Amino acid sequence: MQAWIQILLSSVTLFFLLLLLTRLMGKRNIARVTPFKFVSYIVAAVIAALMSLNLIPNLAFGFIALGVWVILPIALDYLSLKSKWIHELINGKETVLIKHGKIMEENLMQTRLTGEELLRELRYKNAFNLADVEFAVMEDTGDINVFLKADKKPVSSHDLGIKTAPLAEPQTVILDGNILNEPLSSLGFNREWLGIQLETIGVSLDNVFIGQVDSSGDLYLDLFDDTLQLPQPKVKEMLYANFEKIQADLTTFALETNNEAAKTMYSKNAKELDYIMRKLKPYLLR
Amino acid sequence: MTVASKVKQTLATLKGNQGTLRLYSLQTRDEETKLVYNEALETTGIIIDDLERRLQTLEYQEPQYKGN
Repeated sequence: MQAWIQILLSSVTLFFLLLLLTRLMGKRNIARVTPFKFVSYIVAAVIAALMSLNLIPNLAFGFIALGVWVILPIALDYLSLKSKWIHELINGKETVLIKHGKIMEENLMQTRLTGEELLRELRYKNAFNLADVEFAVMEDTGDINVFLKADKKPVSSHDLGIKTAPLAEPQTVILDGNILNEPLSSLGFNREWLGIQLETIGVSLDNVFIGQVDSSGDLYLDLFDDTLQLPQPKVKEMLYANFEKIQADLTTFALETNNEAAKTMYSKNAKELDYIMRKLKPYLLR
Repeated sequence: MTVASKVKQTLATLKGNQGTLRLYSLQTRDEETKLVYNEALETTGIIIDDLERRLQTLEYQEPQYKGN
């Protein structure tokens, strides 16, 4: 057999074999693995490259080495799933770098991190001011994660005491002018419903690039034709505005009428409406 | 505009709102949201009943404007 055919065959075989093996090794982000994991990836890759170029005289030896470097990491992964002790042995433990706003110099020394590097990592996490940091930890992957002081954290609606409506993830129901059936039915809608929605807006299906439906059933469209101005879903805002108008009407009626019974009826209903509007507000306005 | 026709207009808006609310309460997948919408539906139903009763009295009092 000619040498180039041999190289071609072994390369193609190894290509698919390696594809399979890396799928077996898991879908962990390569930038976020522990150093040892990274080394095992590289060793497997180098062995495969050497085999592919026929630099290893005995192919069986190559396969043995490749098998060890692929199977052992997988086996260790399974073992560390079962035992916390093995997990710590293989992956190491996270190191606390800043505690109660104070840098732990010994731990910094242990991770061989200089002050500048720590500051740079903090800046990556948008903590430019060391005084804002309450707690920082180096994960076993070498990533540094930061917990800001309570008064420096971004404000959430919970902090402000505002009630927000639960919002599930939106589903993409149209892509490139094609209706995607599965997400549509997971929302409890069908093609007919979508057809009616498109007709109300006044666009044809093949003009739609992306269509998304949010959890309340509102459809948002992006068209191929960007000169077309689309009415954005504002039904909820309209609904709330209408309630406000009705509430004002009821209050006016209560003031205008001379009939005592009607007056109390109007003002009672105005109050009830006010109560329900306050409950609806987070759901309708956002 | 007479009082009766003003009340009628408010009643119509309210009924429209009730319809939209019902649509949303059917469309939503979230139980909590559904509960809030249903509560709002109930309240609007009560107000609609009250307004309709008031409208009957008004039309009885001003029969010349009936149907406006």
